[in-house]
Amino acid sequence: MSSPRIGVATTIGVWVVLAAAPALLNEWRMSQLAQLVSYGIFAMSLSFVWGQTGLLCFGQAIFFGIGAYVMAMLTKGMLHGWPSGTGFGLLAASLVPGAVALAAGPLMFRGRGLSGAYFAIVTLAAAVIVERAASHWDWIGGFNGLLDVPPLRIAFGGRQVDLLDTVPVYYTLLAAAALVYAVLLSLERSPRGTVLRAIRDNETRTSYFGVDVARYKTLSFAVSGCVAGFSGALFATQFGFVSPALIGVPLSTEVLIWTALGGREVLLAAFLGALLVRSVESVLSGALGNYWLLALGALFVLTVVLFPAGLFGRVLALPLPKRMRQG
Amino acid sequence: MQQVLITALDATNFMSALLLVTLGLVIIFGLMNVINMAHGELFLLGAYMVVAVDRAGGSFWLALFAAPVALAGIGLLMEELVVRHVYHRFIDTILATWGLSIVIKQAVIILFGPTAQQVSNPLPHAFPIAGAAYPAYRLFIMAVALLVAGATFLLFYRTNLGLAARAVIANRPMASSLGINTRRMDRFTFAFGAGLAGLAGAVMAPLMSVDPQMGVGFLIPAFLSILVGGSGTLLGALLGTTLIAGASTVVSSIWTQIIAQVVVFSVAIVVIRLFPQGLTGSRK
Repeated sequence: MSSPRIGVATTIGVWVVLAAAPALLNEWRMSQLAQLVSYGIFAMSLSFVWGQTGLLCFGQAIFFGIGAYVMAMLTKGMLHGWPSGTGFGLLAASLVPGAVALAAGPLMFRGRGLSGAYFAIVTLAAAVIVERAASHWDWIGGFNGLLDVPPLRIAFGGRQVDLLDTVPVYYTLLAAAALVYAVLLSLERSPRGTVLRAIRDNETRTSYFGVDVARYKTLSFAVSGCVAGFSGALFATQFGFVSPALIGVPLSTEVLIWTALGGREVLLAAFLGALLVRSVESVLSGALGNYWLLALGALFVLTVVLFPAGLFGRVLALPLPKRMRQG
Repeated sequence: MQQVLITALDATNFMSALLLVTLGLVIIFGLMNVINMAHGELFLLGAYMVVAVDRAGGSFWLALFAAPVALAGIGLLMEELVVRHVYHRFIDTILATWGLSIVIKQAVIILFGPTAQQVSNPLPHAFPIAGAAYPAYRLFIMAVALLVAGATFLLFYRTNLGLAARAVIANRPMASSLGINTRRMDRFTFAFGAGLAGLAGAVMAPLMSVDPQMGVGFLIPAFLSILVGGSGTLLGALLGTTLIAGASTVVSSIWTQIIAQVVVFSVAIVVIRLFPQGLTGSRK
C-alpha cells in the first residue's frame, strides 16, 4: 500500500501538467486535447455515480447526449423565446439531464428498487430506446443530427466574442474540468460522500442505520446526470455537430471502458483514463485498424479481472478526510 | 383471420429463438449468479459458424450440429480464463463479460468483415396452413426450440444432474457441503448455456442478415424476458419470452419494428419496476 501522501503529490502534478500543456504541444494536438477534456469530464460523472455510489450505469451517454442536444438547440436558436447565449445553454444543458435523472431515480430506487444488475440492464435498454428515438425524431435532426452548433461565446468588453483560438478554448475547458472536479471531490469528501460509499459497500446495512438509501442514490444519479450533460454541451460546442451517436450504447460503453481502465473510484483517474484511451486511440487506430478495438476490449477484461482499481486508481488515491483518520 | 394466424406463427417463431438464448442466460444467471453480457455474442458466433461451414463447403445441417459443440467449447474457455476469476465480485462479472463481448464482436469483424452475410434457406418450401403458405423453415425452428427446451426441462427436473444443478441454484454452500462438485457444475453450466446460444444463432442464421451487430439485438430482449418472467425458474424464462416476443411481433405488425422495440422495452422496464422478482417470482 503506497503512502496516501503520494496521491496528493501526483494529483497536483497532473493538474500542473494539464495547465502547462499548451507550452508542450502543437496547435493541432492542443485542439485534440481540448476535445478530450470534455470526454474526461464525462468520465468523472460516471466515476461519481459508479465508483462512489456503486450504480453501474450502462446508459450514461443518455445524459451526455441530452446535454449536447439541449445545447445545440438553444445556441442555434431553434427554441423560440429562449435565450441563445452560451451561459444559459450550459446551464440548461446541465439542468435538463439532471432533472431527467431526478425524475427517473425514484422510479428505479424507491420501494423494492432495482438491484445492481437489474439497474445495469435497465439503463442499457434505456440507452437503446433513446438512441432509436433520437434517430427517428425529425425535429432534432433524426439520423443526421444537428449541424453548425456555434462555438463557445463569451462576453468581452460588452460584445459577444466567439471563442475560436485553441489555447483560450483549452483553458476554458480545463477551468470547467477543474470546477467539476472541485465540486465532485468536495461532495465525495463530505459526510454525505461517506454515506454514498457506505451504500456502495453494503446497501442493506446502510439502510439499517436509518439512511434513506433511495434518496441518496437519486441525488447521486442526478448530480452525475448534470455533470454528464454539462460535458455533452461542451463537447457539442467544440465538435460543432450533434448526432444520435452521442446518446446511445456505443458511447455509454466507451465511457465505461475509460472509467474502468483509469480507475473507477478516483475522479482524476477516470478523467485520465478518458484522455489516455482516446489519445492512444488517435495514434494507434490508424496503424492497428480493426485490431485496436480488439486490443482495447482485451485490455479492459484484463483490467477488470486483475486490477479492479484501474491503471491510475492507486497512485492518484487521496488520503481519507481528516475527520475519518484515526489518531 | 389469416393475418392473425400468421402473426401468431411469427410470434411463436421469434419466441422459439429467443427462448433458446434466454434458457442459457437464465441457467447461467441462476446457477452461477453471473450476468453474461457476452451471451449475445455467443449467439452471434453460432450464426457465423453457419457462414464459416458454408464457406468451407459443408452443409447447413452439419453446421447446425457443429455450432453448439464449438460454442460449448468456447464457453468452457471463457469460464476458465475469465469468468471464474470474478465470481466473488458480482458487478465485475458484468464488466468482464461485457469486455469479452467487445473482443468477440471485433474478432468476428476482423475475420468476416463488418458487412452482413447471407445464408441460403435450407428448407425453401412453404407449408400450407389454413389457406396461407407458411415457410417450412420457420416451422422447423419452432420444432427445434420445442425439442431443445423440452430436453432442457427434462434434464433439469428429471435427472440427477439436474437435481444437483437445482440444489446449487437454491443453496450453493449447502450443495457443496453435501458433496456436489460446484466447480464442475459451473463449467458444465457455462458450456451448456453457451451451446444453447450457439444453437440459437445457427438456427436463426438463415432467417436474419448475419452481421456483427445481431448479438445485442437478442441480448436485451433475452435479459428483459428473464427480468419480466422471473429469474428463479425456467418457467419464468418461458413466460418472459412469450410476453416479450409476442408483444414485439404484434406491435411491429401494426406499426414498425422500431416502434415495437421502443414500446416493448419501455413496458418491460415498467413491469420490472412493479415486479422486481419477475411475474413468477414470489414476493419477499
